[in-house]
Amino acid sequence: MFIPKLTTLAIVSTLATASIPAIGYAKTVVTWWNYSNEGSGLNAALTEDIQDAFNASQDEIELKIFFKGEDVNEPTRTALLAGAGPDIITSSGSTYVRAYYDGGFLKSLEPYSQKYGWKDKILPWAYNLGVFGNEFYSFPQNYESMIYFYNKTLFEENGWELPTNLNEYESLAQKAKEQNIFPFAYGSSGWQPTHEHLVGNYFNTYAGPDNVYKALIGEKKWTDKEFVDALELLKKHMLDGYWSGSLEKYYANDWDGFSAQITNREAAMMQIGTWGFEIMEGFADKKDDWGWSPLPVLSDFAGNPNYQLSIGGTMSINAASKHPDAAAKVLNWIISDKNRVLEFTAKRNYGEWLLPLKFETSDFSGSVDQRIRDYLVDFAAVTGAGDYGYTTWTFYPSQAGTHIWKDMESVWANDISVSEFLEEQQALWDKARAANELIPVGER
Amino acid sequence: MNNIRSEKVASWFFLSPILFIHFFVIAFPSILSLALCFTDWNGFGKIQFIGFQNFQELFSDRVFKKAVWHNLIWTIFFLTVPIAVALLGAFVLTGVKRFQLLYRFIFFFPYILASVVNCLIWKYLFHPKYGLNTFFDDLGITFFENSLLTQKETSLLAVGFVDAWHFWGFLVVIYITAMYQVDESLYEAAEIEGASKWQKFRYVTFPSIRPMFVFSILIIMIWSVPAFDYVYILTGGGPAYSSEVLANYLHFQAFRNMNVGYASAIGALMFVYVFIITGLFGLLRKLDWEI
Amino acid sequence: MFFISRLKKFPIANHVILSILALIIILPVTILLFNSVKPKAEIGINPLGFPHEMRFQNYSDAFVKANYAKVFFNSFILVVGTLFLCIPLSGAAAFSLAVMKSGKRLTPLVGLYLLVGLSIPAQLYILPLFILWKFLHLNNSFLGLIIIYTALNAPFAVFLIRSYMLQLPQELFEAARIEGASNIQLFIKIAVPLSWPVFLTSGLIVALAVWNEFLFAVTFIYDDSIKPISTILFAFSDRFKNDYALISASAVMMALPMIILFVLFQRNFIVGLTSGSMKS
Repeated sequence: MFIPKLTTLAIVSTLATASIPAIGYAKTVVTWWNYSNEGSGLNAALTEDIQDAFNASQDEIELKIFFKGEDVNEPTRTALLAGAGPDIITSSGSTYVRAYYDGGFLKSLEPYSQKYGWKDKILPWAYNLGVFGNEFYSFPQNYESMIYFYNKTLFEENGWELPTNLNEYESLAQKAKEQNIFPFAYGSSGWQPTHEHLVGNYFNTYAGPDNVYKALIGEKKWTDKEFVDALELLKKHMLDGYWSGSLEKYYANDWDGFSAQITNREAAMMQIGTWGFEIMEGFADKKDDWGWSPLPVLSDFAGNPNYQLSIGGTMSINAASKHPDAAAKVLNWIISDKNRVLEFTAKRNYGEWLLPLKFETSDFSGSVDQRIRDYLVDFAAVTGAGDYGYTTWTFYPSQAGTHIWKDMESVWANDISVSEFLEEQQALWDKARAANELIPVGER
Repeated sequence: MNNIRSEKVASWFFLSPILFIHFFVIAFPSILSLALCFTDWNGFGKIQFIGFQNFQELFSDRVFKKAVWHNLIWTIFFLTVPIAVALLGAFVLTGVKRFQLLYRFIFFFPYILASVVNCLIWKYLFHPKYGLNTFFDDLGITFFENSLLTQKETSLLAVGFVDAWHFWGFLVVIYITAMYQVDESLYEAAEIEGASKWQKFRYVTFPSIRPMFVFSILIIMIWSVPAFDYVYILTGGGPAYSSEVLANYLHFQAFRNMNVGYASAIGALMFVYVFIITGLFGLLRKLDWEI
Repeated sequence: MFFISRLKKFPIANHVILSILALIIILPVTILLFNSVKPKAEIGINPLGFPHEMRFQNYSDAFVKANYAKVFFNSFILVVGTLFLCIPLSGAAAFSLAVMKSGKRLTPLVGLYLLVGLSIPAQLYILPLFILWKFLHLNNSFLGLIIIYTALNAPFAVFLIRSYMLQLPQELFEAARIEGASNIQLFIKIAVPLSWPVFLTSGLIVALAVWNEFLFAVTFIYDDSIKPISTILFAFSDRFKNDYALISASAVMMALPMIILFVLFQRNFIVGLTSGSMKS
């Protein structure tokens, strides 16, 4: 009884092993860790449109995307440190790339870039952000900028105009408040670094991008008057309830909350990143209509209206990867087809996966919302003309980049003054500069 | 003589497996980590020895000072409010027969739930749009108009409240088990002398459960040093560091700020503090305080 | 007369106090329970009240979305594995500290060591531990996590079991010793059978701690296929979206096994704590 059973087992197992190569001969497996955003369907979209589509496009490489929770940086960092981690590393910005590069955890992409001609396909400023020591290391996964969204119908009804200077900005806020409408929808619950959006906006529209640039490269100090004034202004406006009515309500308000505010006429405007296009979908079943514009300039020395440059997320190859060539093929597949990129980012409402490729008007199909196309084309034109600013989360070294939002709360709480805050900033910059930890800025 | 030695070996034979695992998982990596407090390691690059610089910076770090102060408040809060409520709950429980098991189970219930679940419940309840405010606002009470977690005046105590809400039932269980061992005849004697409820508690119950009571104080003082979960999940230490505590600041420095050396220095100081507490208890015990 | 004696058995003042305390716990939990069966849209309109419409589908949605059967099984393995490693070893250590003469003398030293161990924040050693685990190929495995959980829960288990064993009549051990029993026999034949209530109690506490633990779980496990249940709540709330209905349903499902366990063993649980409490 026992022996025949064993024989069957042996036959079955031989058959099983024998049949493995028949089903699919050993493919090179490329692993990729990405942050997870289950709620909005990112995970499903990436699995279907990137992983499965890539695997179907060829039969040598099998791409596997793993979702590592909301914050991909922490597990990645721990894994890299232990000599592990995936082939393709994603991070949430240049600060992390810089640290990974310093630790020697990244493979230089320079040979691949030359082989596949990546430099010609990617917008120069975005490409340069991935260059360390004259070699290309990281690939921008998305670009974004801060803009204004507003309830167009509400503006028309009240005869309001978008502000073009500080006076108009403040008087419009006053008018909105008189009608019990918040000037701006926003909140930081669920994402504390939200404060840095506001700091960046005031730096770039009040102190102006020229001054920010000088401070970034060390020709100016963050404690200079322009920056102090910019943050004093932000503090005044914050404590005046510009965002969601009060500091406390701003702290308690989350994504769902401020999305509802802007679409339900609780707030008139919203200054948010271009990922806010997703929120505008909420107007679809409302009577009101929405519009967007660049951020207004708030001082007479801040220059022209500008778009702040920002990379939201990067892709690199792990130095410990056993299949860097295959990983590079994956990356090249991703950017080699502009239409696929545009189709994918359209599904993400242009908030994610908008790779900074050299798009032209002809690249957009007719189905793209006119306003979004306007933005994409305008962004290229305006930044091409040199009117661009700098977001904190792309151009700040790690500790200064955390301090800029985390300790802004201490300013709003009156625990420290704006000057003290900026002195701390400057000290962190000096420290990072001394340790050669700065992010490449690119000449202005 | 030989016998004593073999007895010694045998006692270590029973002790060592668990101590070895504990040492291997907790003590050894902690020692490695503490060694980093004299370096500026960022978690990636080369390790550079910088002497006492981290400690110098710590002593002038306004956030660190806040965190120390908050840990102190946290400890005092947990030594008073949950203990008082738990003593009351346990004492009253001993006076009832009906539903006693049910009450006990209810009090202990939040302790069964994971911290993420408890935080979910209370974040929701503090939320001005969904939670208690929607009820109290109608009554004209504006206390919950803003989330207690997002105001710097209340955030620390709000987090402490949620943690205590989850924890006090545990204290009830250990107090009541101690109370049940009190000699019944002592109560009878007190009854005959016409003692009030408070007098019974003060002169009979409390002295009898003193060892358990002191044990709970020690445990609370020890546990409040690495307090982390509830702060991390509910407020992240904010707003404006108003609910920042040491473990959360350490976590922030090590994992978010890539400042591992500095984080280790915070850990080293927490270590010193714990030694002082446990040393103090040991000393009191030596001085015959019967604890 | 009858009425008065009834009154004494049902002291109203006591019950009022206890009911108030109980309500402070019941009400918030009830709201979670309500939310778990509300349609998502109803939560905005009716955030605290009884659901107008019951949508039990939240549970099946959450069950599918979180791959609940799988994560439940993973957590189950972690709990059982930790119990098998932690409880016997803690029991042995407790036996040494409580019953053996030279072990008793070691109590202050070992006790201090374990107490200090309790107070070390995990954030301090998690990074070196991770590197160590990588080196030993214990990362991303049940065994690696089980060893960690055993260490984390050891202090409490040792203290609890020790205080129970202190209460055992020492004459029993003396008599057995005179008859020539070895220490191992003393432990297995006398200490363990007599201390089973405390083994059950400490087992419950350890099971609970493992079931609810998430910091080590998210750090040390990076394959979705072996993720435990404590990590799934995060799958439902992220930076952008909070689906309270679904989160509530999955929170209830996460808590349910432990609630059942404690309901079943409540009496035994108390017994284990009771006898141990006095000589802590």
